[in-house]
Amino acid sequence: MKQIKIYYLLTTLALVTVLASCHKDAVAPTTDTPTAPTRAGVYVLNQGNFGTNNSTLTYYDYTSKALTADIYSSANASAKLGNTANDIKIYGAKMYIVVNVSSVVDIVNAKTGKLIKQDSLVLNHVARQPRSIAFYKGNAFVTSYDGTVAVLDTTSLAVTQYIKVGANPEQLAVANGKLYVANSGGLSYPNVDKTVSVIDLATLTVTKTLTVGLDPYGVSADSYGNVFVNAYGVYPTSGATLSVINSGTDAVVTGNFSGGAFSIFGDNAYYLSGGKVLTYNVKTGISSTTNFITDGTTFTAAYAIAADPLTGEVFVTDAKDYSSNGTLTAFDKTGKKEYSIATGINPGNIIFVNK
Amino acid sequence: MKKIVSYTFKYQGLWAGCFMVLIFLGSVNDLFAQSDTTKKLKEVKVNTSTIPQVQVIVPSQSISANDFIHYNAFNVADAIRDFSGVIIKDYGGIGGLKTVSVRGLGANHTSILYDGIQINDAENGQVDLGKLNVNGIQRITLYNAQPPNILQTARAFAAASVLSIETIKPNLSAEKPYLVTAGIKAGSFGLINPTLQWQQRLSNNWSFVINGYTENANGKYKYDVDNGVNITQQTRTSADIAARQFDGALYWTKSDSNKFNLHINFYNSDRGLPGSIVLYSGAIPADRLYNRDIFIQSGYEHIWKHGLHLLLNTKLSRNYLRYLNPNYNNAVGKLDQQFIQRELYQSAALSYHITTNWEVAYAADLSINDMNKDFNVPNAFAAPIRMTLLNVLSSNLNLGKLHLQGSILNTNINETVKSGTVSPGANVYSPTLVASVLPFDNSTFQVRAFYKHIFRTPTFNDLYYGGIGNLGLKPEYARQYDLGLSYTKSLNGFLSYVTFTTDAYYNNVTNKIVFVPKDAYNGSIQNFGKVDIEGLDVGIKTQANLSDKWKASLIVNYTYQLALNVTDPTSSIYLNQLPYTPKNIVACNTGIDYGALGLYYNQLISSARYYANDNISADFMPEYTVSDVSLVYHFLSKKLPVTTSIEVNNIFNKSYAVVQDYPMPGRSFRFSFQITI
Repeated sequence: MKQIKIYYLLTTLALVTVLASCHKDAVAPTTDTPTAPTRAGVYVLNQGNFGTNNSTLTYYDYTSKALTADIYSSANASAKLGNTANDIKIYGAKMYIVVNVSSVVDIVNAKTGKLIKQDSLVLNHVARQPRSIAFYKGNAFVTSYDGTVAVLDTTSLAVTQYIKVGANPEQLAVANGKLYVANSGGLSYPNVDKTVSVIDLATLTVTKTLTVGLDPYGVSADSYGNVFVNAYGVYPTSGATLSVINSGTDAVVTGNFSGGAFSIFGDNAYYLSGGKVLTYNVKTGISSTTNFITDGTTFTAAYAIAADPLTGEVFVTDAKDYSSNGTLTAFDKTGKKEYSIATGINPGNIIFVNK
Repeated sequence: MKKIVSYTFKYQGLWAGCFMVLIFLGSVNDLFAQSDTTKKLKEVKVNTSTIPQVQVIVPSQSISANDFIHYNAFNVADAIRDFSGVIIKDYGGIGGLKTVSVRGLGANHTSILYDGIQINDAENGQVDLGKLNVNGIQRITLYNAQPPNILQTARAFAAASVLSIETIKPNLSAEKPYLVTAGIKAGSFGLINPTLQWQQRLSNNWSFVINGYTENANGKYKYDVDNGVNITQQTRTSADIAARQFDGALYWTKSDSNKFNLHINFYNSDRGLPGSIVLYSGAIPADRLYNRDIFIQSGYEHIWKHGLHLLLNTKLSRNYLRYLNPNYNNAVGKLDQQFIQRELYQSAALSYHITTNWEVAYAADLSINDMNKDFNVPNAFAAPIRMTLLNVLSSNLNLGKLHLQGSILNTNINETVKSGTVSPGANVYSPTLVASVLPFDNSTFQVRAFYKHIFRTPTFNDLYYGGIGNLGLKPEYARQYDLGLSYTKSLNGFLSYVTFTTDAYYNNVTNKIVFVPKDAYNGSIQNFGKVDIEGLDVGIKTQANLSDKWKASLIVNYTYQLALNVTDPTSSIYLNQLPYTPKNIVACNTGIDYGALGLYYNQLISSARYYANDNISADFMPEYTVSDVSLVYHFLSKKLPVTTSIEVNNIFNKSYAVVQDYPMPGRSFRFSFQITI
């Protein structure tokens, strides 16, 4: 047994040497770009590696220029956010983080990231798999892959009921007192769904089911009462589409459209297409073919886009190789790069927080 | 990417492997030889109480059945985990996937031979070593580059390294024409594993060996979950396994130069797939995996008087795999995927000594692999058929102190598909040069070197998997350079011998097959990555005869691997260490024998690793040390040899993981009892 101890010692020494050369950490950028005076900063929600509990919430503070790689962790005694955080939105003073595989909605303080309550969306030991969130008059609405929309009371912070919709609902948006929910049916690929459930927000019941393109996922609403539904199509047989729903009549017009989900600011909907940032005029229904980015900035894997209505800035994330940390690049309203910051893995959502 | 990838990753979870990187126990019956005098002489020469052979032309490491208990080895992965240059990717638990990566190359670069014939997986190229129970295995040897004997199947030349598994061969006399060994292993995880081996001599020429076992376990174990704030203990559930294995081998031996064998092997298993630990989720995993595998293989060897040596090998296999997720949110409410892979394989090899010191050999292998799927995803798979023709010309030249070996392998792949577009296939030449020299007279000091340029073929998944497969994929190349030393000293003092080996190597991987995204919603598998691997393997073995009854042994292996991503110099992950690649691993195995009693201790120390490409604190996995102990006792019961053992794994109950979010079990126990008739 003496021999064992000697080897143990030697190897411990070797290991100490290795550990001494420790890992490097993300470095905060130095930027001097001015931003809207009321804005406190920008959050980037990172999905992390699929199947791993490494979703993170990156925060960049406009005033202090400080980058926090995972503000959820730093605000909550280094707690982890969980597995595949998919959506984030602010409502009032609270921020709601939808964590898909962990099957929870984390309700946190919008300014600090401090956890207020965690709601678990699990039925009979089976994860409902929440995906996206929207708000209307004191209620949060959360789509889940089990074909439901959870109604979460933003005062009691508890789920009060579940509304049955179509298969694997993704994003949702409110227009004209109605909630439009994209039923993707993506988990039945290639036999996907192609419907939007319309929920009357007064009665909380599904009143209509509209037909849109195959495998709808993105839902956004403009100020004219239009609801835009982006759909993937079924690779390789049918391409991506865009459906425009008139929320007054619920009439649907669907056409081919190769581009990602919209971030609407004024009359312009910004979206990613082939590594470019293009704009779609919600009033005319015409897309520009010229890149919004005017300074030649390119991306390895452009992943998410958000336009800030207050400043006209456009923010684009790059997921790089989808397994290592990405970046967030800010562009001014003329499409010139302002700065770029490091995010976590698969940066899928960008939201702005006020002071 | 969201849609396709969520689909892909479901599939990945099934293999728990991945696209970018994706089928037998301690038959200690040789130990009985010690008390079974009629067989003692014969078996001793097979086993390794003698000095281990390290002066091999290529780096090689070996473990025989007698030593499995020293490593608490239940399956092949356990038996080889101490080897230098080896990383076992272990997803934890009794039914968890275990694959081997040698010298920083992916699992697809190591060929697993079962009595000389490869266990092939055309679908994902990886063999689960956890499914290979050590029951019935005589010896396991890992060769870097290729086995030193040039009379091999062409497939033995067609990998960066070869893990050769040899089964127990019948060794019986007319006086006692049978040997039956019955045993049972039981312990933690609710394990009950009865084993039976029946060796029978039928005539002067004919004999058979039958090995069979059943394995049942609930797979439950406690593990720690760390959400960053506090550590809570949970129980791993949905990890049960029910497996059955039968291997029947028939031997005809006219003489050493004229022999034939035939194996029939069945493997069935039903198991739970617990998946990764998901924080906060109140869900209970219900995924299941079913295997129904059968293969028949035969080998014939003939040496003519004029010296021409012939080796014929044939294999037919059918592997059925079903993955079931009963809680899947699709239209039918479950994901039920069934895959059937079949292989028809024929190899012919000839060797001839032109002079006593110059041997040339030629081998040709033809294999036909197909794959069918049965699940409700019409466009997800093309039902490919692959025809592979391998031709190898090799030569061995022995110039006294200098030994040279060279081979050139031609690989020709042709594919057809029932529907859709076909991959164009490949035609590749792969050279290997091996040299060793004994520079000093009367000394066993040996210097050896090799260069091997080899590749791994894109798998059916890489090429055809729905939505992300890439028909244009080229092979993933690996250039290997090795320079090593070995030394053996036979001693007559306190120590009976000391052996020392060390090899430094450089591997360069190009066209690494990885998943590359096209945009946020699409991606495909491409030849994208480049990796530079610098490494050092060191092995020391010694044995001490303390007295007539007391014996002690010590084996220490060290592994150094610097495996750097050199894909894109402009990337933030350039020159970062590959995920799951510890720079340092030290394995130490020691034991004390006192007559019929043996006590063994194994310790494996792995340095810290990262589980993602960024090498930052968020990806950091701490170093770990795992220690195992076994106690063995041999005795006679009514003149029948009995072996009993107690094994304690992870004796210090360390909490660790090899793969992120797949926790390894804490302290566990295994008891075994085995009797030979």
